[in-house]
Amino acid sequence: METMQQPTVNHSTFTLERSVPASPDRVFSAFSDPAKKIRWHADGRNSEVLAFDVDFRVGGVDHYRYRMGPDSPLKGAILSNETHYLEIQPSRRIVIAYTMGIETNGENRPFSASLATFELLPSGAGTEILFTEQSAFFENSDGPEWRKQGWTSLLNKLAEALAE
Amino acid sequence: MNAPTPYPGGPEAGLSDNIHRIFHALGDPTRRALVERLSEAPVTVSQLAEPLAITLAAVVQHLQILEESGLVRTEKIGRVRTCRIEPKGFSVMEQWIRDRRTAWERRFDRLSDFLAETEETCSPKSDDQPGE
Repeated sequence: METMQQPTVNHSTFTLERSVPASPDRVFSAFSDPAKKIRWHADGRNSEVLAFDVDFRVGGVDHYRYRMGPDSPLKGAILSNETHYLEIQPSRRIVIAYTMGIETNGENRPFSASLATFELLPSGAGTEILFTEQSAFFENSDGPEWRKQGWTSLLNKLAEALAE
Repeated sequence: MNAPTPYPGGPEAGLSDNIHRIFHALGDPTRRALVERLSEAPVTVSQLAEPLAITLAAVVQHLQILEESGLVRTEKIGRVRTCRIEPKGFSVMEQWIRDRRTAWERRFDRLSDFLAETEETCSPKSDDQPGE
């Protein structure tokens, strides 16, 4: 008889709905224009942006790297994000797949992989953004020293709470 | 990488104690009713007790818990004790809730702010946006 194996991946799905004060065209340009995207996508207040390379087209890949700031539980750690564009319908829809990782001794160790969908729906003078994220969190790849921080479990709890 | 500070309690010691007291204070329906009443206007302890079917002594006990949580302040002027809302206590709670929001929610907050800002200063040229 086999011994019971612990699962090594946690899955979560959550959705967010957000009304923003701009037309779908302007919202879309905040994704497609790297100079605009860095203004909101990167958390410039709580981290230092080391790289923000955008290649906005189906098949294109973005690379972001951040050094986490003093207010972060991961102070000083380097976080990286690799985003692949799967589907782009101008001013209507963007679907991405991305991994998040933390660099340890120069080696990037991914701790999550996600599929994220943005739907832009015109709503009065603005836009309703429907966001859906489906994520896999890798329990075995997040390193003991930062696992202690409870970052992963915190994210999971939040995701669960939001999914209710 | 330096050994990080243990997570429980977060970067500020004492914050989790405050949060515990705040949520404990608001976990009771009578105390929430008191907070709702006080959010309209400051009142005296006896005015606060009047519409409630509980004794003055019970109201005083509830007020003590609310005061310890930092959500309410009371002040004795002459023989009358007046109660009011303490906005600072609510800021602590707001900050705690803000900190629990997901990275994507914070991102959408920034996107919304960015779109609102650029609407005001909308210029025909979009290729020379400063990247700050």
